[in-house]
Amino acid sequence: MTFFGLTRKSALRKPLRSILLVISVVAAFFIYGLTASFIAGSQGTAAASDDLLGVMHSAGRSQPLPVAYLPRIAAVPGVAEVSPITRLRGSVRDERNVVAVSAGQPDKLLAVSGRDLGLSQSMIDALGAGRDRVLVGRALAEAQGWKVGDRLTVSAFRTKRRDGSRDWPFEIAAIFDGKSASTDTYFILAQYRYINEGRARGKDTVSTFALRPEPGVTPEELAPRIDALFANSAAPTRTLSEKQFLSAFLSQYADIKHVVTLVVGASFVTLLLIVINTMVFALRERRFEVGVLKTLGFSPSRILLMVLAEALFIFLLGGTIGMGLARLASLALPPALGLVFDPGVMLRAVALVFLLGLVAGALPALTAMRTPILSAFRTR
Amino acid sequence: MSANLETNKSFITLHGIGKTFQTSGTSVPIFENLDLTIQKGEFVAVMGPSGSGKSTLLNLLAGLDGPDTGEIWIAGQRLDHMGEAARSAWRAHHLGIVFQFYNLLPMLTAEENVELPLLLKPIPASMRRERVEKILDLVGLAGRGRQNPARMSGGQQQRVGIARAIVSDPTLLLCDEPTGDLDRASADEVLTMLGYLNRELGKTIVMVTHDPEAAEVAGRTLHLDKGVFIERERVMA
Repeated sequence: MTFFGLTRKSALRKPLRSILLVISVVAAFFIYGLTASFIAGSQGTAAASDDLLGVMHSAGRSQPLPVAYLPRIAAVPGVAEVSPITRLRGSVRDERNVVAVSAGQPDKLLAVSGRDLGLSQSMIDALGAGRDRVLVGRALAEAQGWKVGDRLTVSAFRTKRRDGSRDWPFEIAAIFDGKSASTDTYFILAQYRYINEGRARGKDTVSTFALRPEPGVTPEELAPRIDALFANSAAPTRTLSEKQFLSAFLSQYADIKHVVTLVVGASFVTLLLIVINTMVFALRERRFEVGVLKTLGFSPSRILLMVLAEALFIFLLGGTIGMGLARLASLALPPALGLVFDPGVMLRAVALVFLLGLVAGALPALTAMRTPILSAFRTR
Repeated sequence: MSANLETNKSFITLHGIGKTFQTSGTSVPIFENLDLTIQKGEFVAVMGPSGSGKSTLLNLLAGLDGPDTGEIWIAGQRLDHMGEAARSAWRAHHLGIVFQFYNLLPMLTAEENVELPLLLKPIPASMRRERVEKILDLVGLAGRGRQNPARMSGGQQQRVGIARAIVSDPTLLLCDEPTGDLDRASADEVLTMLGYLNRELGKTIVMVTHDPEAAEVAGRTLHLDKGVFIERERVMA
């Protein structure tokens, strides 16, 4: 037997109580693991690119911009490639089965988003082989059970066709995987020309212009140049990186990081109170044993360390399982959630395990350390 | 006086011990100017009625409590001047205690209970295991080390308690009613064991007991009454 063995046996001496205690720690660290991964993924924007910019109407992305802006934007120094994008939202088969379609110029899509979306020239060639052909993201294709060659019809919510119908038929030309597992691939890439020519209203407008800066040019220096071009026009622009856009979009609803911090903080404070309370009671039951150990020659400082180690053991066990489950969940959950379980999340969890373990164990440990032997013996 | 006691050849010397307990605002004197000397290798039984001060004497000898006045010297070290950490270290190195109700830790096996005092010494795990096996063999529990003490008889549990008390080879063994919770047969086994430890291994033993038969095993019996040794009887050859 070792001191660790003694600590482990002391911590697990009442199996049901220990299991419940560990489960509460597991739950807290599972929540922490997921929320910290969410924040580490910049609140769902981890997969978003920082060197992919979008130019949209300054009043919001629901307002269209004229496609005629395209050559002026392309001529701005520092812009490498730019593609018009128009968006269409609708449902497939069931109105609750919502899909999003982004339509752009095939060759420009490859240049602007090819790297992030994992597009290849052969995919673009397949896309351009027919007006109604589309590329479907892997996540969406798997969710819908679609494969290359399948035909599907998107019933648009707002974008009517010239014949009054809302149905937009497409044929799947290829399926793209995205640069990494965290890339959002739950959408369809279509051709701008097909949507633009087919729609009843909003012809020759775009939802946004997607552009890639030249190497070495930052979004911060490029965005003001573009926006300055249209500052006094009827449709002024606002240029943001994809990451900035998503962050701004999410912050319209709430300060997610603040909310997440509060939720995690509350769960950890509750957990601390539960563990401290349980350990204080557990140790009260064991005062006699503390007295026996002291009689055998265990010094007060050693008793302090043993009780602290018990608390740490509970937190290490629960924390490891909780973070392990959070890791598995981050792999299993859709990439669109943008969970990034990076080493920073793990390091903070390790620090929390030790901090919470020490804080939770401090009161019972100090109590055990200070318990006089004779007083401990009287508790039998 | 201290210098004299320090150079005194006695293994245990208590000089001028005074001890008073406060109970509900009332002072209850237990000892007033108590003296006692015990030689190395002696087996001393302490008898007396309840409240006579037997347990207090044992607590003072074990360093679990301190006297209000007087000096306690054991093996050349002044116990009453030590801090709590020093007394812990002293107990770990010099003292073994056998309790009436065994006081074994329920979540540990017999051999783990016996091994506890060895965790405080810089001994490799393999040597600890070897030592534990040897001691369990000595107390007649060879092969039962993996058993949980709760599944053992009272006599066997007390033998585990004795094994734990002697595993670190202490010079002084304090026994608090070691046969008080046992039937006659088990009590005799335990007393035989203590006699063996005293005679063959030279352990100095101080045993508090109510049992006259237990006291028979000791070389000297002290009778305490109201904090005073009233007679000193029968010193075995």
